[in-house]
Parts: sequence; structure tokens; C-alpha cells
Amino acid sequence: MYDRLDAIDVEGVVRFVASMQQEDGSFFGDQWGEVDTRFTFCAVMTLSLLHRLEAINVNKAVDFVLSCMNFDGGFGSKPGSESHAGLIYCCVGTLSICRRMDALKGDELAWWLCERQLPSGGLNGRPEKLPDLCYSWWVMSSLTMLNRIHWVDKETLEQFILACQDCETGGFSDRPGDVSDPFHTLFGLAGLSLLGNTAIKRVNPTYCLPQETIDRLKLEPQILL
Amino acid sequence: MHGRLKVRTSEEEKYRKDKERQEKLKIFQHAMRKIISKRKQGEKDVEQLELTGKVLANNPDIYTLWNIRREIIEHLRKLQSDEELIKLCDSELSLTEYCLKINPKSYCAWHQREWILKTRADPDWKKELELCNTYLKLDERNFHTWDYRRFVVSHYRPPLQEEFKYTTEKLHDNFSNYSAWHYRSKMLLELYPDLDGGRPIQDSHHKHELKMVVNAVFTDPDDTSAWFYQRWLLGAVKSITHLVVFTLTPVRTTIAFNCHVDKPYLNACIQLYINNELVKGEFVSTGNCEYDDLWIYKHGYPIDDNLHAIRIDHTISNTETETLYCEKYMPCFYVGKNKINFQHNYAEPVLKELKEQLISLRQLQELEPDSKWTVLTTTFFLWCINSSEHHEEILKNLTTLKRIDSQRAGYYSDLITKWSMEKLLPNCYEQKCLDYKLDCNYKITSLPHLQYFSFCVNVDLSNQDLTSNCLPSLIKLQHCKVLNLSNNKLTSIIGLPELNLEELIITGNVLNIEEVEMYQLEHFSIMIFF
Repeated sequence: MYDRLDAIDVEGVVRFVASMQQEDGSFFGDQWGEVDTRFTFCAVMTLSLLHRLEAINVNKAVDFVLSCMNFDGGFGSKPGSESHAGLIYCCVGTLSICRRMDALKGDELAWWLCERQLPSGGLNGRPEKLPDLCYSWWVMSSLTMLNRIHWVDKETLEQFILACQDCETGGFSDRPGDVSDPFHTLFGLAGLSLLGNTAIKRVNPTYCLPQETIDRLKLEPQILL
Repeated sequence: MHGRLKVRTSEEEKYRKDKERQEKLKIFQHAMRKIISKRKQGEKDVEQLELTGKVLANNPDIYTLWNIRREIIEHLRKLQSDEELIKLCDSELSLTEYCLKINPKSYCAWHQREWILKTRADPDWKKELELCNTYLKLDERNFHTWDYRRFVVSHYRPPLQEEFKYTTEKLHDNFSNYSAWHYRSKMLLELYPDLDGGRPIQDSHHKHELKMVVNAVFTDPDDTSAWFYQRWLLGAVKSITHLVVFTLTPVRTTIAFNCHVDKPYLNACIQLYINNELVKGEFVSTGNCEYDDLWIYKHGYPIDDNLHAIRIDHTISNTETETLYCEKYMPCFYVGKNKINFQHNYAEPVLKELKEQLISLRQLQELEPDSKWTVLTTTFFLWCINSSEHHEEILKNLTTLKRIDSQRAGYYSDLITKWSMEKLLPNCYEQKCLDYKLDCNYKITSLPHLQYFSFCVNVDLSNQDLTSNCLPSLIKLQHCKVLNLSNNKLTSIIGLPELNLEELIITGNVLNIEEVEMYQLEHFSIMIFF
């Protein structure tokens, strides 16, 4: 965002990230061996921002992500894990960066995602759970990458997001009336951007970074046709 | 922070709380300083285990501290007796258990438990499975516990039928347990795949699951969990890759498929013959992707008006091949179309079950005409059983759904579009015509199955509800010369892909004139009407 990638030890970062990839394509979070699709996304995103994706076996990374696909078209944290909107974002984001969106069951997944919207307008992360502002990002970014953002009702969602803003501090919380924090503030604002709010700079749905940063880095994450 | 209510407090109360926090912080910082300094000194001892343990018991999510503990445990393994090691591992398990009571969703506490069990010599997997049972009684949706259960099962290896039975029990306790439905789907594919028939699930089990799910949804129609499982069962049919249409002109040769395929597949399974001569060439994806449903075939064979015996062979399996024969549609323009069919193909007993359930669904819909899940499910049953025969009823239901479930109106509009296309396409493929004009009663909102129209020269998509989001998919119209997008909901033409158009009609859209003029400057060979 600050255009200062020169400030980091790129070779060091690339070497570490690549060393975390396992034989089955998955990534450890550190030397102690915890496997999670969140780590895959972090690895792929980091390397693509540095234009060094070739340092890992991308095909294997994609195959691992696809081995986490479930009956509902969604994804969990590892093979066998239940679908969860946050992890769906990580997996769809990985496929978007690796340009393998074709491997998704677009209609099934997008239906499951749009069913996350509750009568209040807010979105939950799994069936039969409460709404939470951060899913405005996890669900909406995934739907944007799937080119089906119009499957949710933007108006009521926007109302829900704005109701989560604390009028004293300006920050956003998970649900109306709760304590605000930076995590939910970021996802509230980024969610509003995806909904087309032009008061906020355009946010890229794959990277959760300003679109102008993505353009400057000449990155072209894939959107499903 | 999740689920922490913001409460107003008096000044006095605030002062007291702040002071309390300061105290806690002081103790925490002191402990952390000591831990870090000990680590710097390389002191991997029991005191360090105690220090980190105390902090973790209050804050289970500090990854660094678990990492330090693992370093110590690895170190002690080299020094201690077997008996001492067992004690060490047991006390580590107790600590994780304690921490998981504080935060049952602590990623690192769960991981520590896995790590200990994987690295100790005498893991008691049976006990771990019982622990999962207990925890899943406390919170049946905690996905960490379910993940841990799968980890335990992968080591303990109980008969999978036992695990399948466990999901049945959990679901009979509460049909709303989505986590159990999820686990069940995995078990089902593992235990009962239809290896001979090539279907995902054996007929008898497919039928049994359909019965179970209908029982669940009638017990509590407002609970959504079972509906997702049902939708999956409806879609669990055999899928086969088919050729759709093949187009040969002097400009380019294209091959469309019903699904995405990659280059190695094409090289192994596709062969083009012209004048009975095998034509060698190279496949290029139209969307610049590894997998695509429309491919350009680059070859050096001269295409003139006198070609004959043009055919394309597709090896589907060891025993099955399909062949498309091309016809001349106009001078130097050859097209070969396949018979197409979007109907799901079920085994007879499953289809019979679906038809029986449809009867009760329709009765239910009569009683509650505005119940979303009943209407939606009836609609999918109709489509799955015979989409063509029930087309009108399906569209009527989808229109109702747009009203009673208006949050998802966009989804229902796209379903109307997709299913209308599927109804239209088989007829369209029987005519020897290079024009594509939409002729359905509903305005389309998206462009699914567009590769099926890749051979068309005149494409009329006027008077629909298409938005600019649809534009990139027009890349499938590789042979299009005249494209009519007038009277749609386009707001920008930036996403329009590079096509060899002669005419582009975009009147009746709210477009930025400057943007269109710019486009015109860059594409001076295209006649643009706006």
C-alpha cells in the first residue's frame, strides 16, 4: 500500500514461505506443522504480491485447496473440515490468484453464500449462526470473485453494516451495540466498498487491498465469468 | 472482538476496572519478560514450563508460548526417563484441556493437543474419541472439535460405519446440526460410492438419504441445515464431458465443451480430421486459462470452400467415443453440433423416490403457498425430474420466490435465465442457422452456457436485463460479427472483450459517452451504434 516492497528482504521471505509448502501442496503456518487453508492463502498472496509465485508448486497448492471442497461447494480449514465463509474466502482467493476459478462449483457455492443473508440484512458464516459484520467481507468478497454479488440484497446489508458503527468512536463492531475494534472496522469499510459505496476507495475483492495498489503491481486476480 | 456487548459504566466503575486491568497487565508483562529472557539464555527447563503454563491458562491464544513449550518438551525428551515423559505428556494434555475450557475455539491449544498425541509413544486414541463425544455434547457445532475428531479417527481407525452411525445419532438428537450433515456427506461418499455405475452414491443409499432428509425437513421446515444436504443429494449424478459444438472457418477453429477441460485432456482425447486427414495443431484457451470450456485450435490446414469429411473424435472413455460431423453453413464456414441435453440422469429407484416425494411437496405447497423452502424445493424437484415437461411451472415458482424471498431475487432471476437457456438450446441446435436471437418470455439477467453459442455470427441480446458484469463472458462469441446489446442495463463497456466484430449495437443503455468514444477510437474497424 505504501509502495515500499523494497524495504523487505524479498529473498528471505520467499525462501521461508516456500519452505512451508508440504508434499501434498498444503502449507504449515510455522515449523510446528499446523496445516490450514488460511496459511495457503497467506503464502500464495504474499508470493504473488512479490511476483514470485513460481517459487512454490502452484498446481499442488491448488490441488490441496480443491481437496478441501465440500458437498455444499464450500471449503473448510483442511480436508474434511466443514464449510465456513472465512475459509471460503481464503480458498476462493487462492484460486483467484492462481487463476483456477473454473474448478469451483460456482452456482452451488454462490447459493450457499447468498443464503448466509438473514432477515436483518446481516450475514452469518455458517448455517444457523448469528450474523456478524466481518462476514460482510468474507461472503461478499467471495461472491464478487464469483461474479454473483447481486444474489444478496445490498440495501439491507448496507443498513446492517452501518448499524454496527459506534457513533461515539466511529469504529465498527461485530453486531449492533457491541464493542468496536480495528478488525471489524476494516471489514465494515471494505464491505461497503464492495457494495459500491463511492466515498471509499475501491477495494480489490481478492486481496482486500485498494484496487490502485493491485493495478500498480499489475496483478490480475481472476473473476469467474 | 466477538459478542462483547458495549456497556455504559459510571466513572467510579471505570476507574476500578482500569485499575484491575493495569494490575493484570503488570503480572502478564512481568511473566512475559521473564519467559523471553529465559528463552534468550536457552533455558529449556521445568520452570519455563510452569511460567508459560500459567500465562497460557489465562490467555490460551499466545502461539509463541506453545512454541516455546514444544522446544522444551523436545529437549526434555532426550533427557528424561520413559516414565517421566509419560507424566510430561499427560500434564501437557491437562493444560490443553484446561485452556480449551477457557476458549474452546483456540486454534493453538487444539494444535498442541494434536502435536502431543502425534509425538508421544503411547497415545490413548479411544480416550480422545470419548473426549470428542463429550465436547460435542457441549457444543455440537464447534468445528474445531469436529476437526479434532477427524484427526483422532484418522489415527484410531474405528470402522467408518461407526462414525456414520454417530452422525445418524447426532442428527436424530437435532436435525439442525449442519456439522453432522457435513460429516455424513463425507462418510457417505467414502462408504457407499457406486463404483460400477460411476455415480457418486449407491442407489439404495441415495434413496435412503433422500428419505431421511425429507423426514428432517418436515420435522422443522424453517431450519435450513437439511435443505442444503437435500440439494446436494439432488445434484449427486454422474457427469460426463461432452463435445458441444465445433466451428471451422478460415479465421479460426473453435471447440466447445459442456464443462472445463485442460490441454493434456484435449491432446489425449480430441482428434480433428479434414478430408480424412488427421490435422495436427495446438489448443489455446479463449479465457487464457488452464481449464476452459471453449478452445481455439491453431493449425495450418488451409480452409477453403471445398472441404469434405470434416469430423472430430472425442474419446470419452476406453469404451466410448463420440464423433461430430461438420456441415457447411455458408461459404468457408463449417459447423458440427452435438445432441445436447441438460436433464439429470438418475437411477430408476432414485427417480421413483423423487417422484413420490414430489407428490407430498406439492401438497405441502398447496397448504403453504408462500413458504420459501417448500416452493424452492418443489421447484428443484420438478427441474431434476423433468425440466422440459415442467418448465412453465418451474418459472412460475421462481417468480413467486422472487416475491416471497426478495433478498435473493437476483439468484432467482439468474436461475430463470439459466433454465430458460437450457430449454431453448436443444431446439436451437436442431436448426441450421448462424443467428442467435433470444426468444423467451423472461428477460435474461446473465449469460450462462454462452460457449454453446460460440459458432453464431449474428448475436441478438437486445431488450434484456444484462449488466456490465456480464460483458467479459462474451469472449465465448469467437465467431460473432454483429453483436446487439441494445436496451439492456449496461453502465460501462470496459469489460467488453476483444472480438472480431463488424457491428456493435449498444443503444438504449446508460453509458458514458466519452468512454464509448474512446472505445471507438481504439476499434475503428467496428461500426458502433450508441
